Amino acid sequence: MVQQLESPAGTAENEPRGRAPWVSVLATCVSAFALWLVLFAPTLEHNALVSPVGTRRTVALDVLRPLAAASRVLQISRIVSETDALTGRTGNRLGDGSAPVRGPVRHPRRSPAGSTPTATTPPSIAHPTAADKLRVLIVGDSLGIDVGGPLQNDLTDTGVVSASLDGRESTGLTRPDYFDWPAELEADLQTFDPQVVVVMIGANDAQDFPGPPDVPFGTARWNAMYASRVASFMEIAQSGGARVVWVGMPAMANPTLSAAMTVIDSIDRQQAAARNPPVAYLSTTTLLGTARGGYSAFITDQAGQVVNVRTPDGTHLTAAGGEVVAQAVIGYMRSTWHVALP
Amino acid sequence: MLFPTFDFAIFFAVAFTVNWLLNPYPTPWKISMTVMSYVFYGWVGWSYCLLLVATSATAHVGAVAITACRTERARRRALIGACAVLLGLLGWFKYYGFVSVNVDNLTHALGLGRAVPLVQVGLPIAISFFTFMAISYVVDVYRRQLEPARPIDVALYLSFFPHLLAGPIVRGHELLPQLRHRRDAYAIDYSRALWLILAGLFKKVVISSYVSTAIVTPVFTAPAQHSAPEALFGAWGYAVQIYCDFSGYTDIAIGLALLLGVRFPINFDAPYTARNLQEFWRRWHMTLSRWLRDYLYIPLGGNSGSEAKTVRNVLITMVLGGLWHGAAWTFVCWGAWHGIGQGVGHLRRRRRVARGLEPVASGPVRIWVQRVATFQFVCLGWVFFNASGMSNAFAVLARLFDGWGRPSPLVTPVLVLVVAGTIASQFVPTLQVARLQAAFSRQRAAVQVGLLSVALLGITTFGPPGVAPFIYYRF
Repeated sequence: MVQQLESPAGTAENEPRGRAPWVSVLATCVSAFALWLVLFAPTLEHNALVSPVGTRRTVALDVLRPLAAASRVLQISRIVSETDALTGRTGNRLGDGSAPVRGPVRHPRRSPAGSTPTATTPPSIAHPTAADKLRVLIVGDSLGIDVGGPLQNDLTDTGVVSASLDGRESTGLTRPDYFDWPAELEADLQTFDPQVVVVMIGANDAQDFPGPPDVPFGTARWNAMYASRVASFMEIAQSGGARVVWVGMPAMANPTLSAAMTVIDSIDRQQAAARNPPVAYLSTTTLLGTARGGYSAFITDQAGQVVNVRTPDGTHLTAAGGEVVAQAVIGYMRSTWHVALP
Repeated sequence: MLFPTFDFAIFFAVAFTVNWLLNPYPTPWKISMTVMSYVFYGWVGWSYCLLLVATSATAHVGAVAITACRTERARRRALIGACAVLLGLLGWFKYYGFVSVNVDNLTHALGLGRAVPLVQVGLPIAISFFTFMAISYVVDVYRRQLEPARPIDVALYLSFFPHLLAGPIVRGHELLPQLRHRRDAYAIDYSRALWLILAGLFKKVVISSYVSTAIVTPVFTAPAQHSAPEALFGAWGYAVQIYCDFSGYTDIAIGLALLLGVRFPINFDAPYTARNLQEFWRRWHMTLSRWLRDYLYIPLGGNSGSEAKTVRNVLITMVLGGLWHGAAWTFVCWGAWHGIGQGVGHLRRRRRVARGLEPVASGPVRIWVQRVATFQFVCLGWVFFNASGMSNAFAVLARLFDGWGRPSPLVTPVLVLVVAGTIASQFVPTLQVARLQAAFSRQRAAVQVGLLSVALLGITTFGPPGVAPFIYYRF
């Protein structure tokens, strides 16, 4: 009945292989896993450090700290660090098993940073041409990627824009120990020398600031700290003279997450208005939701067609949803900044 | 729960121990493995476990009802009833949003107003897999190929965690007998199991992740930004990515099941070595191909009728197979692409046979031309499969024609090596792999431990930080 399972008859299945009792197999696997744990402990310790504050993080750190210390004392951890160095990695190994990272498509810098104007006098970007393209940098978390992909594509399609996307899933401004967005943005500015920066960050930020002492989300202290980080990020984005569009978070299907996004949007909006020159804040709550800003998976476009704009997880955007926001950003650039885009 | 995570490693250590400790006691073993499978499924949210319970209950009640019926007509009604419930659940959760938007837009365009309520239904993970398994079980009972199993057997058959999330789609006659008999606790084929698990992890964590980040995601995210060679490698890269992702998952699933003493059917057999589409589908996602053949293509009439009917049946089967993967026009196109390709291939073979020739031309050069042509045809289909929408697919395809002469910074020597190497690896004889496994099993325990930990270290070191969910989890 089962002779044809697992392997085609007459090939690998006929090769004699050793078989073992389950206790031996368990002992072999557990020993190998334990050895790997010691070898890889410093990286695992780092991953635990940058994970969300909570019991899971505490337990993981309690287990991994002595192992990581042993690994360092015995110089075992050098195997991994040397490999990272050999393969050109930074050693900033993020992730908890659910956080892929999408890097930017980098392009050579177009002009020296020294020639950029001051922040208070944004340069004219009204008439980009194929020979002198408008340089746009898009940065964001996973929702930023949902918008950034269509936006990058649509802008590039005009033939007069060079658009770059630096999207990092599962990132935000709350946890620079997990991913340092300010440092990343500074590097992006150096690389791309953008004239316009589009930011969409915040979906992962409704979490405590790690301490000690931890600063719980939703408290006045948290709001003040987050406002400071947003302001600092906007300042970096504007530091090269670029105009900045900050795209707000839409409502979410989960009411708790949606309420948290309202807090984050409010802080972003206030900080955008407080900048000089102001950062353009583009709200997406009605764009992607109901007329009152509530969550909706479907919207009706100008042609009267129903469009599904949200993925079934109730958080992310479909390609059509990303396109809606992308067109809103392009529309803003055309109408408010009078950028002549074909 | 994802396979390549710490959570799963701990879960599996517990499941493995419980599995073998309770092995001598069939009913406690079945109950404990079912409970553990539900824990595995409900790890990120318990609500969908109810759907799994409903599916299992429908399959069991349907099978019992079919057996209890005295007339063929009543049996058929019971079968239709059970399949309607199972397909109804699948249709509601997977296709309602897609259908409602399209019907709504159609009625609006025809001036009939908004006719359909728009509701976004959460998509339960793995629903397509366990629904197909449940249907196959009920149909096999109807065909008298299978006796109805006990409720706990049906529950475990459908929920057994190694296959639960993304297959293989194991048939009742393959798994149910193994659940009824004790497994040999002293003869675990561990070298093959560990090889499969490590090979699967390597394919998923290292190769698939690298290719996705290096070329596939950038090209499909913003096709306008990329050159023709980049678009070409984007399509080839996706062929490698999805193969490594899905076959990697399957390898791990088969390996885990082997460690628990259970054998699954293979799901991939070097698909990119295929010389035509028919052969490709005998090598790619084999358990789905078998399912579509036995429960859709043959009931439609298979190839027993006229040429036109055969081509029609192939086309219907492949389009529905495409739709099985996801509720989007891109999947319909992907299925139709393969359906048309297979239909044309079928007609060509018939013409050759009618002229007294062998069905497929052979000869060393021809074989390689056929392989290359089949691979390119499959890659073109993958563009639709991976695209976020039809316009995205056509934008990628357009790059293949109008993006020449532009710089291609993403096509690096490492990328070329990885893509070519992965495809070339499918030509390695399985016997060589089996010999390696045999050599591993002859090593001393300490050496085996060392080799395993070094392999794990290599995978985790060369893999990216964080692993994306398997592509087929979406289906």
